[in-house]
Amino acid sequence: MFRILGGCMIFSGCLGLGIWYRYQLTGRIKALRELQNILELLAGEVRYGRATLPECCGHIARYLPPPFDEAFAGIGSRMAENTGVSFGTVFREETERSLAMLPLKEEDRENFLRFTTKTGFADGQMQLRTIEQSMELLRATEEQQAGENAERCRMAVGLGAMGGLLLILVLI
Amino acid sequence: MENSILQLFPFHSRQLWQQAAMEQEHIQEIRLRAGRPVILYMEGRETYLTARGAFTDSFRQARIITEKELEETLEHICHYSPYAFEEELRRGFVTVAGGHRVGVAGQAVLEADGSVRTLKNIAFLNIRVSHQRKGAADSVLPELYTQGMLKSALIISPPGCGKTTLLRDLIRQISDGNAWGRGMTVGVVDERSELAGAFLGRPQNDMGMRTDVLDGCPKETGMLLLLRSMSPQVIAIDELGSDGELRALGQASACGCRILATVHGESREDVERRFGREPAFWERMFDLFLLLGREKGKCVIKQIEKRGERHVQNSGRLYDF
Repeated sequence: MFRILGGCMIFSGCLGLGIWYRYQLTGRIKALRELQNILELLAGEVRYGRATLPECCGHIARYLPPPFDEAFAGIGSRMAENTGVSFGTVFREETERSLAMLPLKEEDRENFLRFTTKTGFADGQMQLRTIEQSMELLRATEEQQAGENAERCRMAVGLGAMGGLLLILVLI
Repeated sequence: MENSILQLFPFHSRQLWQQAAMEQEHIQEIRLRAGRPVILYMEGRETYLTARGAFTDSFRQARIITEKELEETLEHICHYSPYAFEEELRRGFVTVAGGHRVGVAGQAVLEADGSVRTLKNIAFLNIRVSHQRKGAADSVLPELYTQGMLKSALIISPPGCGKTTLLRDLIRQISDGNAWGRGMTVGVVDERSELAGAFLGRPQNDMGMRTDVLDGCPKETGMLLLLRSMSPQVIAIDELGSDGELRALGQASACGCRILATVHGESREDVERRFGREPAFWERMFDLFLLLGREKGKCVIKQIEKRGERHVQNSGRLYDF
């Protein structure tokens, strides 16, 4: 009885590991899409609202899902306080916690934050271009991930289940 | 508005500007030029800023501002989004919170028709510190009313003699009401955001409770727009400059509005010559002419001439503010 129970637990543990790994792979794609949506909204505000970057962040906060809504509202309000800290620093600090909650790699975070290091363009088109560049980098990563993922996801779940069975056989 | 000039600078350079911020009341202008010493104009005289942020009269001890620092300052002033200030940069200045005006100069980028598209390689900043001196118009107010009725007045002054400060306080007191007259609706066309110091459309200076401000609008267009939309009893504009503005003022005057305006000049003759208009033209529009100047470093009203009067000697009527 205990053996069967132990076997079931090993099997479900290994299968769960496989499913978790699959979530990591699909979750990254979802997170990359979310970041692109944020940048899309930001670009829209710059393009049509002609507002400053801190203002744009404050405006789009209400359209964003948690935890980004609070982060972007925080950017807007901190910049309005005018403490002298640069937009790039405030943006990085406020979004740090939200980004850490998503299954992203360091390079994804850096690609997202890339545009904040390139501010100060007198031409709106140039500023838009920097945001679009960040979006393009994220999109490229997403497409690459999506291509590789289908097989990897199947393999992750399969390997989890097989690994579980193997462990049961070895241990019994 | 206390210490508000500190907010013009990024965090890492604020230490340098601490003392200047404490003396903000006395500073008229801060001149930043890439690779040149920082110069402050305080109460009519020049002084330099040292590397520790103290004031000095010796330019050898003056702090040189680098190109990078100047760029960072401008970027900070523009909220890291100069593109959003494209129109302001094209006009050559940006108005910031606190009502201060930051003039910019650099390399002009021209359109095909020769108009300025934008400025690039900005290497010169002129921060004109806004001061609201409440009570500046106290001494002149009795002259502006006859039995509770406001007169139209033209303030003639050379640069830096306080015409905008005087006009701003006149607007506030006329709008709120004072001992000589009831409060009136005042329409202000603030083309260069100097009077109200509006930031995002909100006046940073107290302009009075019955004042409507049209910010950043050309004076000629703005006056007609205000006449149609806000039915002001008084129209106020700073720095009359073109014939079109004079025509618009004429229309406002014909509609029964009282006019408060300022113009650059040393005397009435100077103004008449500049605009090529006869004295009668000005006297049809204005009841009172205030001539400002400087005496012993102070801004003073040197002469007050009523309609029909000319070259009146100061009969003890010399006000400082």
